[in-house]
Amino acid sequence: MIANEETLKNLMIRAQGGDKQSYSVLLEQTGRWLSRYFSNKISNDAIDDLIQETLISLHRKRDSFDPTRAYLPWIAAIARYRWVDKLRQTYKHQAGTLDFDIAEEGHEDVVGAKISIDRLLTMLPEKQAEVIQLVKVEGYSIAETSDKTGQSESLVKVNVHRGLKKLATLIESE
Amino acid sequence: MQKNFSIDDLVNDLTPVKPMNINKGLALPAVIVVAFIALFVSQLGLRSDLAAGIPAPITLMRGGVLLLLGFATARAVVHMAQPSVGKGNQGWVWAVGAALLFPISALIVAISTMSADMPVTVNTGWYCFKMCLAASSATAIPMVLWLRKGAPTSLERAGWLTGLAAGGLGAFAYSFHCPFTSVMDISVWYTAAIGTSAVVGRLVVPHLIRW
Repeated sequence: MIANEETLKNLMIRAQGGDKQSYSVLLEQTGRWLSRYFSNKISNDAIDDLIQETLISLHRKRDSFDPTRAYLPWIAAIARYRWVDKLRQTYKHQAGTLDFDIAEEGHEDVVGAKISIDRLLTMLPEKQAEVIQLVKVEGYSIAETSDKTGQSESLVKVNVHRGLKKLATLIESE
Repeated sequence: MQKNFSIDDLVNDLTPVKPMNINKGLALPAVIVVAFIALFVSQLGLRSDLAAGIPAPITLMRGGVLLLLGFATARAVVHMAQPSVGKGNQGWVWAVGAALLFPISALIVAISTMSADMPVTVNTGWYCFKMCLAASSATAIPMVLWLRKGAPTSLERAGWLTGLAAGGLGAFAYSFHCPFTSVMDISVWYTAAIGTSAVVGRLVVPHLIRW
């Protein structure tokens, strides 16, 4: 079970004050929260890296947390930034490696729909979201994505590029 | 999995931090603006209408719009350092809209009069442009440092807004000396200075931000 917003926020406030025990619990709990947050949004072999990068960003930027505001929207903004950054990196993996078991747990219940990555993707034009899902999340090639969507290969590339660029501007939107 | 990553390392590296404070983020740019106002007034002199204590309406309007633009965009920049999903922070859009009234008005006047000899003062204007940019550059520095410390999630927007904020505040500082009274001069040279500052901000600031 993952701690709730109030608990995480209190842990973060104590961590800002230098409480190492609270920080340890916070990082462990946030790591679990992030694994659900990112599940089904990137290949399994990239999830661990993404969680670690997000936790390192949390550590480096911990003074940017405002104790008068909620914790989860703050860490979600950092997580979304890291996710988009990861998608922009050139990486390839085999299609079909996604493990949907975690997704079936329904992270919407835990995260809250407003700060989810799904919500972020719905803000993109449908064609851009579709090709980002296929190429960057599920790992299909440009040619395979072209076949699946009916978009030409060059259009797939353009839509991936434009979609990622737009995602970067929408990170804090809900 | 990244090598050498351990939650214990992060925990051991923990030191107390003070949460970033919005007012503190705005304070240093404000101090720099005040310093530049003092510098311009002491070295170049105060505008004659301000010195006489009878400010012209155009002086007040220009100063008000520049301050509004500079403050609203600087506030947005400072807020960007503390990200949060759902954090609405779009007030700067209205300030930019208000500031655009100057160049739009100048354009309408230019088109409606269709004069080939538009009253734009080149030498004084070029000097105004350079002074505004000098003050803007200095004002941008604390905002960039603030962004580096924080966690802005949209680097391009952070660049645009930093440039706009620095441009608006730098121009506001120079406006205490600036002798211009015509909408045309103000629109051409101030828009050029603020626009240049914004473009430079967009091109440079994203490269200076570290996550």
